[in-house]
Amino acid sequence: MPYNKPVPKPSPLTQPFWDGAKEGKLMLPKCVACERVHWYPRHICPFCHSMNIEWIEGSGEGRIYNYAIQNRAFGGWAEEAPFVTAYIDLDEGDRMVTVLRGVDATDPTSIKIGSKVKVEFEQASDDIYIPFFRVVEDSS
Amino acid sequence: MSLSKAAAIVGAAEAIEIGYLEEPITSLQLHIEAIKAVSDQTGIPISDIEGVFSTGWSSELSEHLGIHPKYIDTTSVGGCSFEMHVHHALLAVYAGVIDVALVSHGQNGWSARRIGGGGHRGGDPTAPATQMSMSYGFSGAPSNYSHAMVSHNHKFGTTPEDFAHVAVVTREWATLNPRAVMHSRETHEFGGPITLDDVNNSRIISWPLTLLHCCLVTDHGGAVLIAKPEIAKSLKTNPVWIAGAAENMSHSNMLEMDDFTATSAYASGQAAYEMAGLGADDMELALLYDSFTLTAAITAEMLGLAPRGEGYKLWKDGHAAPGGRLPINTNGGGLSFNHSGMYGMHLLIEAYRQLSGTAEDEVNGIKGKQTNARTCVVNGTGGSLSTTGTLVLVAD
Ligand SMILES: [Zn+2]
Repeated sequence: MPYNKPVPKPSPLTQPFWDGAKEGKLMLPKCVACERVHWYPRHICPFCHSMNIEWIEGSGEGRIYNYAIQNRAFGGWAEEAPFVTAYIDLDEGDRMVTVLRGVDATDPTSIKIGSKVKVEFEQASDDIYIPFFRVVEDSS
Repeated sequence: MSLSKAAAIVGAAEAIEIGYLEEPITSLQLHIEAIKAVSDQTGIPISDIEGVFSTGWSSELSEHLGIHPKYIDTTSVGGCSFEMHVHHALLAVYAGVIDVALVSHGQNGWSARRIGGGGHRGGDPTAPATQMSMSYGFSGAPSNYSHAMVSHNHKFGTTPEDFAHVAVVTREWATLNPRAVMHSRETHEFGGPITLDDVNNSRIISWPLTLLHCCLVTDHGGAVLIAKPEIAKSLKTNPVWIAGAAENMSHSNMLEMDDFTATSAYASGQAAYEMAGLGADDMELALLYDSFTLTAAITAEMLGLAPRGEGYKLWKDGHAAPGGRLPINTNGGGLSFNHSGMYGMHLLIEAYRQLSGTAEDEVNGIKGKQTNARTCVVNGTGGSLSTTGTLVLVAD
């Protein structure tokens, strides 16, 4: 079945991220001056305001900061509801938003904050692969 | 002259009809009806308005009214924009740029479903934060605020049931306000008092939020006039003094919210209290943005009205209820009175009515809604717990 959910349109700022995603890599912007990773991509480092920013390949690993269940949704997502949206604290620092894979949205309390997750990509179009995260180890 | 109390709110009025309107209405009409009403209420002619403050409407409104303001503000950062407009108007009056300011609101949140309009403008799809969040099925405010509930529960050991008390008590206030959509079975098929079970068992929207944790989506228009002291003291209406005003923000996109249980209401609250020379303990009334039960409860914590993690207890223990020591959301709130999408004007109008002693006039209430409060903290929260404006208002 063709991908039927919203597909982002890259801009020059974000193109390296989407290029990486197509190859299965989670590319992250990192400030050359203060060496901190920030998310989402910016023209300027939000920590030290240097404009010297490079892209690094992230580990794709992190932990669940927070999650909630989307019991209703629109468009293609409506067919998938309920599903679990989550905020992931990346091992490299800062936070991404995602939909969790490998969890049971009908049993919300079975999902644990702090659980370890790993990125995976789903093809949405010829050039766009969207990052999702899968729980690989429950928080104990 | 000090900035504190350099201006007063001298009148506050609503559109002729608000709520779930049977005949669709435009946002512009809601604006204009409220502006006309507040002009009539105060006796200030529309032609005397020198500053116009609105969420992007100021140029269109001024032209529609045939006026030529010398101060034009279009701050539009969500539902707290109106508290910010009051802040900005206070500064403009204090600086001597204008003597009379209009803050105006019109939003056909309900009618927009049939005739379009509403108050929301689409974001830029190329914005990096949008690209990195648009693929995950979020569907409006509840889908974001549910995350904050989960964080509060996780951090403080609270439960959604704790927050349900906010909905029950706020509904109790609505039963004292005939203008409230959920006043009674006569005003709405699901109106009248509700129980904790009603809240907990209502339809799930975004776990852990059920329907009755979420605000209404109605049509609403409102306007307030703000004037310098010499004018404020000369009018037929009672002035309500702007003793403190401040604003702040922690983020725009929730991706950048560091702690989902803490908002910039702490910063804007502290600054507003400081300007007023008053503290949380001095507040006799609170009007707190309740887009969701948790919004009001977290804001109460941020404003120092309750300890961290325990905001919900103000409602659970009855302090916020009619007859309680700190009445909160005496109009019935966004949960049960009205919420057009941006709720900040609704707060201003109720604060003015309470502090001017007009909360129970023939259109606005029945006995029991008017409090004895002489001080009120008003806080608006916009976006995804993003932006805040706090006012400390005092009676004349
Ligand atoms: Zn830096």
